[in-house]
Amino acid sequence: MDGFAKYLARRFLQFILVIFLGVSLAFLITHLSPVDPVEQSVSLMTNFGATDPRSVELLRAALSELYGLQGSFFEQYLAFWGRVLHGDFGPSLSSFPTPVMSLIMGALPWTVGLLTLSVLIAWCLGNLLGALAGYFRSNILLKLSGAAVMALHPVPAYIIGLLLLLTFGFVWPVLPISGGAQMNLQPGFSLVFIGSVIQHGLLPALTLVLVGIGSWFISMRSLVSNIVTDDHVVYAELGGVSSATIFSQYVARNALLPQLTGLALSLGNVFGGAVITEFLFNYPGVGRLLIQGIYSGDYSLVLGVTTMSIVAVAVAVFIIDLVYPLIDPRVRLG
Amino acid sequence: MMFKSLLAAILLVAASILPAAAQDFIAGIPRNQTLIIQGPPAQNAEWFNLWAPGGGASNNGLQQLTADTFWFINPDGTGDAAWTNALAADRPQYNADFTEMTVKLKDGIFWSDGVPFTADDVVYTVETQIAHPGMGWSAPFKVNVDRVEATDPHTVVFHLKAPNSRFHTLFTVRWNAAWIMPKHVFEKVADPLSFNNNPPVSLSAYVLHSYDKAGNWAIWKLRDDWQRTSIGMGLKEPPQVKYVVYRNAGNPDARVIEQLNHNLDVINDIAPEGMFTIARKAGDQMAAWFPGFPFAHPDPTLPSVLFNHQVKPFDNADVRWALALMIDIRSVAMGAYRGAANLAALSTPPTGIAVPDYYEPMQDWLKGFELNTGTRTIKPYDPTIAEQVAALVRPQWGDSIPSDPAKLKSMFGFGWWKQDVQAATELLQKAGFTKQGNQWMMPDGKPFAIRLMVEGDNVPTLARAGSIIAQQWSMQGIKTTIDVAGPTNGQRLGAGDFEAAIYWSVETWGGHPDLSFFLDSYDSAYIAEPGKTQPPRNLQRWKSEKLDAIIEANRKVAFDSPQVVDLGRDYLKLAVEEMPFIPLMAYNKFAPFDTTYWTGYPSAADPYSASGPFWSNLRYMVVALKPNPNAPKP
Repeated sequence: MDGFAKYLARRFLQFILVIFLGVSLAFLITHLSPVDPVEQSVSLMTNFGATDPRSVELLRAALSELYGLQGSFFEQYLAFWGRVLHGDFGPSLSSFPTPVMSLIMGALPWTVGLLTLSVLIAWCLGNLLGALAGYFRSNILLKLSGAAVMALHPVPAYIIGLLLLLTFGFVWPVLPISGGAQMNLQPGFSLVFIGSVIQHGLLPALTLVLVGIGSWFISMRSLVSNIVTDDHVVYAELGGVSSATIFSQYVARNALLPQLTGLALSLGNVFGGAVITEFLFNYPGVGRLLIQGIYSGDYSLVLGVTTMSIVAVAVAVFIIDLVYPLIDPRVRLG
Repeated sequence: MMFKSLLAAILLVAASILPAAAQDFIAGIPRNQTLIIQGPPAQNAEWFNLWAPGGGASNNGLQQLTADTFWFINPDGTGDAAWTNALAADRPQYNADFTEMTVKLKDGIFWSDGVPFTADDVVYTVETQIAHPGMGWSAPFKVNVDRVEATDPHTVVFHLKAPNSRFHTLFTVRWNAAWIMPKHVFEKVADPLSFNNNPPVSLSAYVLHSYDKAGNWAIWKLRDDWQRTSIGMGLKEPPQVKYVVYRNAGNPDARVIEQLNHNLDVINDIAPEGMFTIARKAGDQMAAWFPGFPFAHPDPTLPSVLFNHQVKPFDNADVRWALALMIDIRSVAMGAYRGAANLAALSTPPTGIAVPDYYEPMQDWLKGFELNTGTRTIKPYDPTIAEQVAALVRPQWGDSIPSDPAKLKSMFGFGWWKQDVQAATELLQKAGFTKQGNQWMMPDGKPFAIRLMVEGDNVPTLARAGSIIAQQWSMQGIKTTIDVAGPTNGQRLGAGDFEAAIYWSVETWGGHPDLSFFLDSYDSAYIAEPGKTQPPRNLQRWKSEKLDAIIEANRKVAFDSPQVVDLGRDYLKLAVEEMPFIPLMAYNKFAPFDTTYWTGYPSAADPYSASGPFWSNLRYMVVALKPNPNAPKP
């Protein structure tokens, strides 16, 4: 077996192991949750009405049977893996009998659209500004933008989101603050609908960009600051190579490699949703779905979202592992 | 150069997107014909089966605007006016021993697809649910109904398994009730539990227009044949609201903003601060239950300090009374509700008919009530609490706070227990407690400490009340820690996994004096063993022979019997004597209305309907609203 095949096999085993352990852990944690889905349903169905205790007992028994929650923990674990291997997470317990997969697939396009775009914008802007700030260290404008980014970096997402919500929803009410698109608009690939989706996504996206840009900026500036003192950069400067070429070909390109790994991880995380931002702007994505699942004790749903997220991150890392040797010859195989 | 390009790109995007803000708020629907109501997010938006536990649009207009059943009770009403015959032509008719109930149905009611509503729909509803455990009303039908028959197209007779003078309450709406199923739709379905019923046919005045698959909104349209519904038959003029939008308007801050931007006419509940912001900024474009402070609508639920009687020392009435007398209720009202609380000393919410039937006539008894502290007898009731709270809020709200005692009582409640630390000390000593320094010790020599459970951010006013009470008890030598239960709150209350909690175990009809709504479940026969789940609502697991006797007597009298009020007062007196839980106040909801487009909302002065968006009685508000002549033109 040559070096690349061994490398591939090792990474693949690692990939399988990560998924197995991650998903098993998620199963364990969700099943240890004290929130009982049957009790949540009983509570929903009996709240606010005149309730006869004998009826409540009957209802509780009927729902336990209906939800298929019988069997030991281990039997449920095996059944869960049996379903997952067929791409099925079973019925949602809070939206019974709708399959969890249907709920996730309904929310996923919103989250993937919003987060992919936000992550890419934050990554590009953060890295660009970070690289420029690290290379052109005396530029006043870059120093100022660096200071602004650094000031934003420690501010929690909900504070930034709330400020944007108040600014553009109330003080200068020009943007929608809630939902994914205009009400009663037919979804489709029409300009009106796409425009409305963009309009509704602006504030959540801006929140995510402002929150995300700082870490990319800081790490990139730090990487570039180190690289500019490397021998090959010093030699290039002494050799009269132009600043633009040194910046783009010698410095930024080398600094970008670890950032690519970070990007892949961030893109993998997209499938877990942006819980706080989605909640704040009432965005109909996976994050909001996850919160609803947690509150209703719907561990089928929570497990579905978590499993998707674990698999997505693992796949992203696996792809990066495969591509890395091709883009960075310093990574030795075998 | 690069920055200039970036700036230009941003401006270009902004220029192309921002004008979109000028679009109609709802595509293709005139705003001035539309009522926009706060709804919850529908996780399973394509589900419209109200009779199976699938979520969906149940609380987003489905039960409020399309479902119907025999009777409605207005939770804010009083007397005969609070009762409405909906699908039924008359009140329920029982035989002498309450084993048979006959219901006469109105003629001329049609489903929205043109099929007539008949007694067969009722029989089908009951029989189908009995045959399918897991459906919403399957269990109570199974427990109660021996058989049901349609003796003619407009008469249904229920034969019951045992006497039940309250069987009709299964079909009587306060918040919801057993809704009638469309037989002609469901009989074609193999499994009614997995049928999504999309699109639903309607039995009431509105029908589904469109909905968001992402679960953020559902739009309902006035039926062309709205007169052929139980609600439409009673109207003198056509409903002016042509469309009703239930929309999830996001977090509480967003709801305030959306109402100030006139994008949300009816809010379900916000924090006091949000309410005060709207009152300040919206001016005369806002209405609320009270036109000024305290604004809030009192729900017929009773937030209280619940004690788990199966945990010592909370089984001791002297200890419970001592804890009640350590509370300064004025601080609780100010801290929880910024003063906008409707205080309750009796164990029933001070709302609707409870005021004339219980609170007003029992004032003299409360003033004369004597409590033996072990060393002396005290009269703990303070009827001047409303005036005291009014004095506390007057610096902020000025002349909007009246001085008329009667008005103050309707705003702040009739009275409460005067904080009396000395009496509390005597009661604890009577119970065998001792004090070491500032720490109370239990009879077994251990420090008296309490974990006080609150739900948390989901009900912020009650969490605040819990924090203040914990602080007051701690200051008096009982170390009290707050236990935030979050989403496990209901479960832990049911399982008895708490010592003390801020929640409610009393809910009433509001518009009817019969207390069986909650009291029937207080029968000691239903009290679970420690560690087992207690069925709602006797969460405190209060066991009393005197209480059992009251419950049994109430079961034997008819729902509308005058004896119901007497038995209700007996229960209230017993609850004062034993203090099984400490009633605090009505659950005040801050639910402001935007009057930019609609006027005529229900209020304390004109409580013709429930006003909470999730209450099915809301339908009577929807059809009564009038357009504001000064509304912006489309």
